[in-house]
Amino acid sequence: MFTEVLVALALGGLLLFIFQRNRKQVLKTEDGWWGPGAPPDAQEDVSIHPFQIKTSAEELQDLYRRIDQTRPVLSLEDSQFNYGFNSQYLQEVVSYWRNDFDWKRQVEKLNQYQHFKTNIEGIDIHFLHVKPKRVPKETEVVPIIMVHGWPGSFYEFYGLIPLLCDPSERDNLVFEVICPSIPGYGFSEAPHKKGFDSVCAARIFHKLMKRLGFQQFYAHGGDWGWLVTTNMAQLEPKIVKGLHVNFAPPSKPGLSMVLSLLLGNRFPKLFGFNGVDIQRLYPCMEKQVVEPIKETGYMHIQATKPDTVGRALNDSPVGLAAYILEKFSTWTCNDFRNLEDGGLTRKFSLDDLLTNVMIYWTSGCITSSMRFYKENFAKGLYQPHSKMPVYVPTGFACFPKELMHTPKLWVKQKYHQLKSYTTMARGGHFAAMEEPQLMAEDIRTFTKMIEEK
Amino acid sequence: MSLDKLLRLSTANFSASLALLSLTSAVAIGGILAYWVFRSKEAKTIPIGHGWWGKGKKPLSEDDQIHTFTITTSDEEIKDLHARLDLTRYTDPLEDSHFNFGFNSTYLKRVVSHWRNVYDWKKQVAALNQYPHFKTKIEGLDVHFIRVCPPSRENQKVVPLMLVHGWPGSFYEFYKIIPLLTQNHDGVAFEVICPSIPGYGYSEAPQKKGFDSVAAARIFLTLMERLGFSQFYLHGGDWGSAITTNMAQMKPDCVKGLHLTMFFPRRNFKMSLSLVIGRYLPFLVGFTREDVRRIYPYFQKNVWQMLEETGYMHIQATKPDTAGCAVNNSPVGLAAYILEKFSSWTDMKYRDLSDGGLERMFTLDDLLTNVMIYWTTSSMTSSMRFYKENFGNLINRLDFKTGVFVPTGLAAFPNELMHNPKVWAQTKYRNIYSYTFMPRGGHFPAFEEPQLLADDIVQFVKKVGKI
Repeated sequence: MFTEVLVALALGGLLLFIFQRNRKQVLKTEDGWWGPGAPPDAQEDVSIHPFQIKTSAEELQDLYRRIDQTRPVLSLEDSQFNYGFNSQYLQEVVSYWRNDFDWKRQVEKLNQYQHFKTNIEGIDIHFLHVKPKRVPKETEVVPIIMVHGWPGSFYEFYGLIPLLCDPSERDNLVFEVICPSIPGYGFSEAPHKKGFDSVCAARIFHKLMKRLGFQQFYAHGGDWGWLVTTNMAQLEPKIVKGLHVNFAPPSKPGLSMVLSLLLGNRFPKLFGFNGVDIQRLYPCMEKQVVEPIKETGYMHIQATKPDTVGRALNDSPVGLAAYILEKFSTWTCNDFRNLEDGGLTRKFSLDDLLTNVMIYWTSGCITSSMRFYKENFAKGLYQPHSKMPVYVPTGFACFPKELMHTPKLWVKQKYHQLKSYTTMARGGHFAAMEEPQLMAEDIRTFTKMIEEK
Repeated sequence: MSLDKLLRLSTANFSASLALLSLTSAVAIGGILAYWVFRSKEAKTIPIGHGWWGKGKKPLSEDDQIHTFTITTSDEEIKDLHARLDLTRYTDPLEDSHFNFGFNSTYLKRVVSHWRNVYDWKKQVAALNQYPHFKTKIEGLDVHFIRVCPPSRENQKVVPLMLVHGWPGSFYEFYKIIPLLTQNHDGVAFEVICPSIPGYGYSEAPQKKGFDSVAAARIFLTLMERLGFSQFYLHGGDWGSAITTNMAQMKPDCVKGLHLTMFFPRRNFKMSLSLVIGRYLPFLVGFTREDVRRIYPYFQKNVWQMLEETGYMHIQATKPDTAGCAVNNSPVGLAAYILEKFSSWTDMKYRDLSDGGLERMFTLDDLLTNVMIYWTTSSMTSSMRFYKENFGNLINRLDFKTGVFVPTGLAAFPNELMHNPKVWAQTKYRNIYSYTFMPRGGHFPAFEEPQLLADDIVQFVKKVGKI
């Protein structure tokens, strides 16, 4: 009798264990309040207000005065962009900014789409809502939320939006695009309390989509946007129909990842590595250790002392431009470090680059944007969401010059329903801004694949 | 067994054991010999090398005169500063964040208000000029230094001593200790030379890549030679420690004694082992009780804390030109960046205070004078580049693998960034004359506890010179 009970218990325990492992984990979260002071007793204001980006003569005058006050320090002879943003080239950029860049015209360009603000969990959330102008017959309108990263903004998607919202000849899909600004970035209010991490942003964006009336939607993101949209998929897997990302650094190195790194270049077929994977992952020391150390100084200081580093950047527009545009150079192609002009204008126009900088400048958000690093890394790397897989159909666009290469094997460790893995022909970290055509094609192909199921 | 068979067997065994014995002895003797030879072959100095850091091409001849120098200011300089202070766009700190996210903006407003309305730069410049300043061209760069001679007294032995500062400090850090060093300590008084590292303050910044601590050391050795000193003492902390250590490695015959407040051992297996054992059996590995108190919990103090505090080092060692741009144009940003260190590096617990404990050990005037030196000379960017030049080439640094054999005095302050027990320091500093556990003080001891530091320097010099 006793043995039977024991065996039953053991069997039951084993079954429970297996069952538990197979049960899809859902990320849990709690409501938050990010406004100043204590949450009011009154009912939350759920109204959505239209919003227009504005500028003024004072704003420009102040900018020009600060630009004119800049005290340049010559870069070392022959150092190009290896010590950071080259001072001599910076003066050229600043001269363009001071004399040729037309902020008023750029503001009009920004306002070509409808902007809104709505208050969620105590802070004003800014977003774009772009509805397709023309919906041909038998064409589906697919809602998609696109989340930017650092040091980007909603503006990164301006080249991509028309390619998604206008009907295409290749498929009968047309998108309705929502582009929010992460709280603390651009025109979204910054949280006043500590603890605002990517899961909080994900929860707020879910509330936003619900408020806009969407029951199901797709999500796209890169940089922080990758993490926020991934969290959205983990929070509500039934609501996020498909997740498309162009950046997916592994959140925790599992055994298979380590093994594949050690043996991958000898036995590529074993791990499903192709030529591109080998070329981008090896030599290990240089590509997985030295390169990241060279490029993550900003991450280290922002994840520890954001208020200190942001302080000067909010007073010196030239300093802010150097800080932000250095990334647009190096993260587009790290060979650009050896160019006198950092290759900045090879893939981007100065107008576009400076418009993004102006969003940080005019909103004064650089410090709050940096705090996001500290809030996300502060609790350590092994948070619940980083240990949890993603069960939503996922599409991954692998751009050749992205900061970190993630081979298919590694992506699948986290994204259990990887439906498409596309090796792109060109493009770096700011792929949406750099190669909108390629990105739009991949998003469309992925969405069509999911819709057809 | 027959007798002769037995005899043959025993002699064979005897030969075998003799052979074995001879073999082991040979190996042992050979080993000892090899070790001895190898040890004496170990480098005791580093090559002096050469360099030229000015703009463009090196000219055929260089002016090696020493010129007097006076720090000056103007109404325009002050007006420009005030205008920029007024233009500051503050960002509210997160509720309850104190100094954990960096320099607290609310407290910063107080500092800036003092700077704008109370702080008198003209008066501070007069105070800076109380000691004689000089400049001289070495390797293409104008090197700034102050030279303070003790008043002439009877029966006084004047001992030359160079003090080298670090980042984000300056020669000004030593202004409190100089009067203590030029006093008569039982017949000994110091003649103090305080240079500015090239790229810092009034010393010209290098225009060429590669200016590391070895280059700075060579320049300072040339300076002492030019001033007519054939033998002298050295003191340094932070970068000053690295530079003075290099000086002792380059010309040990000139360096009578080396006194340091921050020092690093040569990492080896023994050190890691002692770390593990030392917590439970400290006396076995040569740790004193005080060592144990300061090192453990190791992970918390030395790994996590270091990660939290070295973001600036990481960005400066990789992208100094980017990091320096904004702080060179925003005096408030510069002040926040520099003064954050004067808070945390004096005591890590200050991060939990809303005012960062800044005014507990320092006056705002003193702190801002140091900031003004960086501000008025636009030298923050070049000062940051020193990190990249030093960390960029870690694998090939000969000086890291070479020991230091001049008499060394180490002052271990309790709130220094990292504690290194004497046994660890001995891996690099082979001739330690004194190792003092200081009762109080952090990373800027000359500024914070000048009396304690001066006393330790005096006791060290007396020990070395047998005075």
